[in-house]
Amino acid sequence: MRVAKMSSGIFTIIRGETKQLATKNLVPSISVYGEKLVEFEGDEYRLWDAHRSKLGAMVLKKFEIPIAKDSRVLYLGAASGTTVSHVSDIIPEGIVYAVEFSTRTMRDLIQLCDKRPNIIPILADAEKPHLYAHIVETVDVIFQDVAQPNQAEIAALNAKQFLKKDGFLMLAIKARSIDTVVNPKKIFKEEIRKLERDFSVGFEVLKMHELTPYHEDHLGLVAKLHPRNQNNKI
Amino acid sequence: MNFITWFGVLTLDDNGILSKCDLFQKDRDELAIQLVNTEVVNANKPPSGFDFRSAAVECGFLESKEEYDALLRDVSIRAAKYQISLSGTTDMRIIQAVEALDDIDGVVNTLSERLAEWYGIYFPELGLTGDLLACFVSEYGSRSNIPPENGLYENAATSMGAELTGADEKLIKAFALNICNLYETRSKIETYLAEIMTSTGPNLASVAGTLLGARLISLAGGFERLAYFPSSTVQVIGANRALFKHLRARAPSPKHGIIYNHPLIKNAPWWQRGKIARAVAAKISLASRIDLYSGKLDESLEVELARKIEVIRLANPNAPKKSKKTIGVKSISKKIRRHG
Ligand SMILES: C[S@@+](CC[C@H](N)C(=O)[O-])C[C@H]1O[C@@H](n2cnc3c(N)ncnc32)[C@H](O)[C@@H]1O
Repeated sequence: MRVAKMSSGIFTIIRGETKQLATKNLVPSISVYGEKLVEFEGDEYRLWDAHRSKLGAMVLKKFEIPIAKDSRVLYLGAASGTTVSHVSDIIPEGIVYAVEFSTRTMRDLIQLCDKRPNIIPILADAEKPHLYAHIVETVDVIFQDVAQPNQAEIAALNAKQFLKKDGFLMLAIKARSIDTVVNPKKIFKEEIRKLERDFSVGFEVLKMHELTPYHEDHLGLVAKLHPRNQNNKI
Repeated sequence: MNFITWFGVLTLDDNGILSKCDLFQKDRDELAIQLVNTEVVNANKPPSGFDFRSAAVECGFLESKEEYDALLRDVSIRAAKYQISLSGTTDMRIIQAVEALDDIDGVVNTLSERLAEWYGIYFPELGLTGDLLACFVSEYGSRSNIPPENGLYENAATSMGAELTGADEKLIKAFALNICNLYETRSKIETYLAEIMTSTGPNLASVAGTLLGARLISLAGGFERLAYFPSSTVQVIGANRALFKHLRARAPSPKHGIIYNHPLIKNAPWWQRGKIARAVAAKISLASRIDLYSGKLDESLEVELARKIEVIRLANPNAPKKSKKTIGVKSISKKIRRHG
């Protein structure tokens, strides 16, 4: 067995032919959603199933992940925290603000927050960033996976309020929550056009890739704020 | 400028330098409640790029920046738990009340049919059904007890029904009384739902009506879930089997959810219904979101909906021609249902 580092806090565990994505467990001996724990040279790793996580899929799709060990991350659409738990592993010295608007789901997320020191749960609608503007500081990365028709707009609103000038937006776009009939490729193109031009902040897309075979009809992308925004930002 | 943060209201002078801190009490529960109840609007929102951590130390709220994460985390967890305890209860109350209503409907229909047949032996000309029948029988029992001032007196006097006496009368009256009470409970639940809906979901109640609104919440499994559904899903809530098929096989989406009970849709000519349903569903979606996050009645919703529907009506005044075959099939299936 061998462990190879892929990015800050993100590893591949290699055993013969099999390679498995993993993060170093911030809270040893506790498995969050039934994932396997693996010991290697005194460290414990949690296996990370890319089929259950768009961020995981982005890692395997060779995205450069702009998250460092002390990053501040705003995570929109946290759900019960499957992916958030890995983000929490990746940033032992940082903090993740986890926004989720379903109370039922938030119940599970809170149990995760109770066990981990670096997740701040926020029960609010990501469409209304002013509702948590008194809680969330400026962040290095916004990760968004909300599966909503107005995904692009939600990203823009949040970036405007919270994203650092040279910060990054990581976005998972689900074609079928925008339109169930139109060809996904067409939808992705349109969403990117929106991100570049439609809102009071514009983005520059650095990399994008479909997340097949891990997630059908999903696009992953990393973007940063376009220089045209930088002057009129405070 | 003045703005709010989770630890206090801060003021910046013209040069953007922190000039005043009105700190909140550093009590975790107080801070959590403050967090939930604070209404941040654009006017009192922190400027983007503002450094919360330095300000918290500078204002003397914290000893050090290291304390920041731990305290904010603890307060946020308390706040989220508090929000859940508030929202869960209302949802649960609505869902249970709606389900009780449906249970009563199921039972009361069966019992009422039994009563109609049973009492038909004694007064076949009565012509009442449902709650009227049940409450009538529980009050009078035998025809002979109907007073002359009652409109049914004549019918009762000349009825060809059998005499109702003794043990039979006692039994049938007791049976009817239970049914009459169930109807009364049913109407109490309706009143209760109307009240709870207008106070917690005023916009949903105004767009969908209190009962349909409550049913949508119940079928969706809660207020937030309803608000989270895209309006295309709202349109088919309640069309369960068809919806499931649609989601799994990407079959054409079913059109008839429970919102088809909405008077605007039910009373529209058939060729406008699909379009009107879409408009109503979109407004219901919007209304439930407003309810979830602001809770204030926005009267423009109803007005806009009415306007949209007027546009649909004007644009589709005439029935489009349908192929004869479909019309035939439809009317036959309707007949079957009515007779079956
Ligand atoms: C696809 S799931 C996210 C899964 C999660 N990122 C993971 O990998 O573990 C989308 C989540 O976003 C939430 N959501 C959708 N719209 C939202 C909004 N406007 N604000 C906050 N959360 C939202 C949903 O309730 C749902 O839990």
